[in-house]
Amino acid sequence: MENNKWIDDRLGALNPDQEWMPDIHRALARLRERRNNRTTRARVWTWSAATATAGLCLLAFPAPRAAAEYCLNCSVVLWQDLASSKVVHTSLIPENARKPASDFILNDASGRPVQLSAFKGKVVLLNFWATWCGGCKVEIPWFIDFQQAYAGRGFQVLGASFDDDGWKLVKPYIAAKRINYPVVIGDSHLAALYGGVQALPVSYIIDKSGRIAATHLGVVSKSDYQAEIEKLLTE
Amino acid sequence: MNALREAAAGQIATPAKAENGDFDLEALFRAQYERIAAVIARVVRDPARAEELAVEVFLKLSRNPKAQGGSAPGQSIEAWLYRAAVRIGLDELRRQTRRLHYESLLEFVRGAATPTPNPEELHAASEERERVRRVLSGIARRQAELLVLRSHGLSYEELASALHLNPASVGTLLSRAQQAFRKEYMQRYGK
Repeated sequence: MENNKWIDDRLGALNPDQEWMPDIHRALARLRERRNNRTTRARVWTWSAATATAGLCLLAFPAPRAAAEYCLNCSVVLWQDLASSKVVHTSLIPENARKPASDFILNDASGRPVQLSAFKGKVVLLNFWATWCGGCKVEIPWFIDFQQAYAGRGFQVLGASFDDDGWKLVKPYIAAKRINYPVVIGDSHLAALYGGVQALPVSYIIDKSGRIAATHLGVVSKSDYQAEIEKLLTE
Repeated sequence: MNALREAAAGQIATPAKAENGDFDLEALFRAQYERIAAVIARVVRDPARAEELAVEVFLKLSRNPKAQGGSAPGQSIEAWLYRAAVRIGLDELRRQTRRLHYESLLEFVRGAATPTPNPEELHAASEERERVRRVLSGIARRQAELLVLRSHGLSYEELASALHLNPASVGTLLSRAQQAFRKEYMQRYGK
């Protein structure tokens, strides 16, 4: 009992001072602030984790990646359609103001030389593209359709890929997409002839006389291309 | 202080659930904050720091869904709060004691004179309080938890619930804790 009293006396010294009283209002404000901060941080972490997980899934699994690419391509087309004012879009240049398209000669996928001037007398759609370019992948199926539809009327599509890895990537792509027109690998000389390739895709529509009738930077709608080709074919 | 003891020992209903059934932290905070802050203030030297740590206890509770229903069957949120409070308080006390120890060593190495005691240290009651805190930081944590909560007025049943003890063994454990406290006190300060 004496021991208990001695302990109680010692521990009694721990009693807070009489005048001390915790400030509950200040503490409650602090609690709310800390909870809000934590909620914000948790939200940021949740979004970061979700984004990282989605990114990893896209990298790891081909199916979602293909679906994502498709969605991206559709979004690009939609965006271009909705915001056409932002696209560098040139309608057909008047005949007397057209400048000759620079001639070049490069080998196609089978090693045969392809010369631009060899297509003189035809309307040519010269398309600069790359396998990594989302907008290019949107346009290529259209060009395949054009080649099929207008080849008999004096029209020719010519592709020039600017992939750094060259044929290693481009040949499988041509086979996979069943590209029905000649494709060459573009080089710095070709880029320089056309004023430097700053962005992809870039397409030039060349009239029957070998002059540039229209230049399109970025994705343009399929109907615009069709209208211009039809018009040039009737010139 | 009596009011605090009565509150600690009393059976005040704690509104842990809002009307829609969700856990109502703020209602619980209003009902329990002062008691939790008082437990921490027993062992932490700075009352303002004790108030900060009391807020931390409630934040921990808000992040712990298991504890919001009592961490074990039949255990109340109050018991969880008391356990968390005494632990956070003792952890802070040990940190402070270590820091003071290293600071005094540093002063010794620098060859400085013995630090002049401040007015509070000169006060006998404060000196005794400081001694008790140093002893508490020197004995086993479970024993210190028992002594602090007991000195705060918790019954044997409440101690058993808060510290996850068998109610039948609380008396024995408390007695051992008291002996350990006395032994440590005598070793440090004599009679």
